[in-house]
Amino acid sequence: MTDTLSTSQQHRNDDTPLLSVRDLRVTFHRSGEEPFVAVDGVSFDLRPGDTLGIVGESGSGKSVTSLAIMGLLPKRGVRVEGEVLYNGTNLLTLSPDQMRDRRGAELGMIFQDPLSSLNPVVPIGVQVTEVLERHRGMSRKAATPLAREMLDRVGIPDPDRRLKDYPHQLSGGMRQRALIAMALAAAPRVLIADEPTTALDVTIQAQILAVLKDLVEDTGTAMIMITHDLGVVAGLVDRVNVMYAGRVVEAAERHPLFADPRHPYTWGLLQSIPRLDGARGERLNPIPGSVSDNLPWTSACAFAPRCSQPIEVCTQRTPELVEDHGRSLRCFNPIQHGRPSPDADTTRGTSEVTR
Amino acid sequence: MSGVQPSATDTSGAQSTDGAHTAYGHDDRNDDVLVDVRGVKVHFPIKRGVIFDKTVGHVYAVDGIDLQIRRGETYGLVGESGSGKSTLGRAILNLEPPTEGSVEFDGIDIASLQGEELRRKRQDIQMVFQDPMGSLDPRQSVESLLLEGMKAHGLTKDGTEASRRLRELLSAVGLPVAALKKYPHEFSGGQRQRIGIARALSVNPKLIVADEPVSALDVSVQAQVINLLEDLQEEFGLTYLVVAHDLAVVRHISDRIGVMYLGGIVEEAPADALYATPLHPYTRALMSAVPVPDPLVEDRRERIILTGDLPSPSNPPSGCRFHTRCPWRQETKCDTERPVLRVPDIPGVAADHRVACHWAEQIESGEIQPHEVTAEFVEQHAGGGDGSLMGPATAVEAMVHHPGNTAGGGGGGG
Ligand SMILES: Nc1ncnc2c1ncn2[C@@H]1O[C@H](COP(=O)(O)OP(=O)(O)OP(=O)(O)O)[C@@H](O)[C@H]1O
Ligand SMILES: Nc1ncnc2c1ncn2[C@@H]1O[C@H](COP(=O)(O)OP(=O)(O)OP(=O)(O)O)[C@@H](O)[C@H]1O
Ligand code: SF4
Ligand SMILES: [Mg+2]
Ligand SMILES: [Mg+2]
Repeated sequence: MTDTLSTSQQHRNDDTPLLSVRDLRVTFHRSGEEPFVAVDGVSFDLRPGDTLGIVGESGSGKSVTSLAIMGLLPKRGVRVEGEVLYNGTNLLTLSPDQMRDRRGAELGMIFQDPLSSLNPVVPIGVQVTEVLERHRGMSRKAATPLAREMLDRVGIPDPDRRLKDYPHQLSGGMRQRALIAMALAAAPRVLIADEPTTALDVTIQAQILAVLKDLVEDTGTAMIMITHDLGVVAGLVDRVNVMYAGRVVEAAERHPLFADPRHPYTWGLLQSIPRLDGARGERLNPIPGSVSDNLPWTSACAFAPRCSQPIEVCTQRTPELVEDHGRSLRCFNPIQHGRPSPDADTTRGTSEVTR
Repeated sequence: MSGVQPSATDTSGAQSTDGAHTAYGHDDRNDDVLVDVRGVKVHFPIKRGVIFDKTVGHVYAVDGIDLQIRRGETYGLVGESGSGKSTLGRAILNLEPPTEGSVEFDGIDIASLQGEELRRKRQDIQMVFQDPMGSLDPRQSVESLLLEGMKAHGLTKDGTEASRRLRELLSAVGLPVAALKKYPHEFSGGQRQRIGIARALSVNPKLIVADEPVSALDVSVQAQVINLLEDLQEEFGLTYLVVAHDLAVVRHISDRIGVMYLGGIVEEAPADALYATPLHPYTRALMSAVPVPDPLVEDRRERIILTGDLPSPSNPPSGCRFHTRCPWRQETKCDTERPVLRVPDIPGVAADHRVACHWAEQIESGEIQPHEVTAEFVEQHAGGGDGSLMGPATAVEAMVHHPGNTAGGGGGGG
């Protein structure tokens, strides 16, 4: 089994990026409304075997980023700019047909709602088999036992019988496994998982994440894990991009990011989360307001109205993303040593504003 | 979105609410039981046949639960989707009349109440829902949403009194007075949840049952609402029953926690004791599965990964309901005898820590070690209840639009 999956093993220690996203910008044009920039200048590299987490609140542009990479955004009313280089080819310049060939075979995707990507009227065994036939050039006869193994591998009990089941006969967790089996059957070199466990119970989430982690390790597939849950990325990925209002505000390796968050948004998120292992009775320190309070990036830091320590320039200019020692940061007045900076020209405590 | 900013709370106004709370404030018997649930079962018949006239089985959504909620405390219910948390919450409000067992509220059996008396008691228990949008009528302004319950309970004697009360409510939940003239769609998710909470507060309840009050919100906003709930509890001496699937959230806000699995409570303990010494195998697994936003913790963590899905509540496993997935399951007792919730004989475990496992002592001492479990496939049933519970905002309303038909909407139970 493993040998069939480990096609990209040899790429693990390769240093050239497999996927290179350069200045990605996605603008939605809605009739009668101002154009809306959902993703704004996002760049990152993914080498073989890398795992990248993209985190941020609802509406920060996580899904739009992944849909743009996969070429799955609607063609009408959307402008996608920048480059998505896969093995040197800019995917954004490919025709829909050329893109369809890459999807599945080289770039796989798992969504939050597996029902939307499984065909409701085709047994899951056939769906996995078809992937193997289409992308791996196998005969149905050769593909069927492998499909069974794939289902087994992702932890679907009694896989022989399950091959004949339709998606609606499976629980949410089992469907997500079936989808992972399908996505990985083609042995893609990049897997994008968009909130794959958000709709699932935490005990099931733990199972799915363990399966995903094992599979990407075994196969050397590079993975982008999109989630709003910082806990999920903490134990799973190499590097984390934190997005706010369509832009990356901080990006770092997971250890330094969590140990020493520098952007007030990253810091605020970590302060907001009740931790299972935290001291009880301690008050949470929420980020005040909501994304509806954002300022436009074009003339300010979008986060300034919610920030714990804005200074004057924050509402007057756009902070640039600056790289330093492997960390990228977009902030005029970063958090120092885990504490808000004393330079802040505000005396308001975050918890006062919103109780 | 609207430009409404959550504003600092003017506590001076909010404090001077009327009778109900003040009277309650003097009642300092903190160990006093406000809600007493005894042997409650809620079984939903599964109907088949052309006109659904045949009962072919039951969903044992809540199957024998005893619990007491003390005045002024927060009781948290956690458990997997479909374990019966929402149904139990609804049974406590008598929105889902128990098939068996009783619920006493403030010393009175809820099921025995009728007419005026029932209406008055209903005022004492309010609900806050997961989806603030689904529970707020989009055509009503915030003002009319808030006045509705107050009028229904005769709490608004005159206009000045009403407008004073409205301002107090808004200030208590951190919304500006300008919010009154707006409609639900003009607010963000967190602000709508504040409106939902203001609405529940508007009739001076004693108990608030909050069903997944923060699970639809972004983490930053979630923290705001959690703090708000904590502040309001202190300010008004409220008692909470919080139903949620997020153990970290539940641990943060609850004084005591009940862990549900397939219609039963498998462990109950003060929040700190549950975290420090989880005794039931399911609680251990649940606890170990919750991600912690700290790579140092995550890297050295040992997970107990459960296999398979939650079995169907229409065909629950015999004996201990967790035995099909339990890594500590034993040959004797586990699949034949249903364990009762009991205080285990373990040094250092207090009398308020109860667990429903035959082998709690041996597991804790290490005498029994975990083993591999083969996953069983769980057949999925079409239909069933909808976990999201998009119901009416108040119990009063729920009485009017019969609650029985809110379930069945989605696949939440899967
Ligand atoms: N097809 C579309 N047309 C117009 N606007 C869109 C479209 N798809 C997404 N958007 C907008 O783009 C922004 C980013 O959306 P996106 O789905 O990427 O957020 P997200 O970070 O994935 O959030 P969530 O955590 O809620 O999934 C949002 O404001 C959203 O409303
Ligand atoms: N009115 C109903 N008719 C039939 N079955 C129901 C009804 N309401 C709930 N159920 C079923 O009862 C079981 C318990 O449901 P309940 O909604 O109480 O679970 P829950 O613990 O709140 O789950 P979630 O976390 O998904 O909200 C589920 O299997 C559900 O499908
Ligand atoms: S009674 Fe048996 S099956 Fe149930 S939790 Fe305890 S050891 Fe596991
Ligand atoms: Mg998304
Ligand atoms: Mg529920």
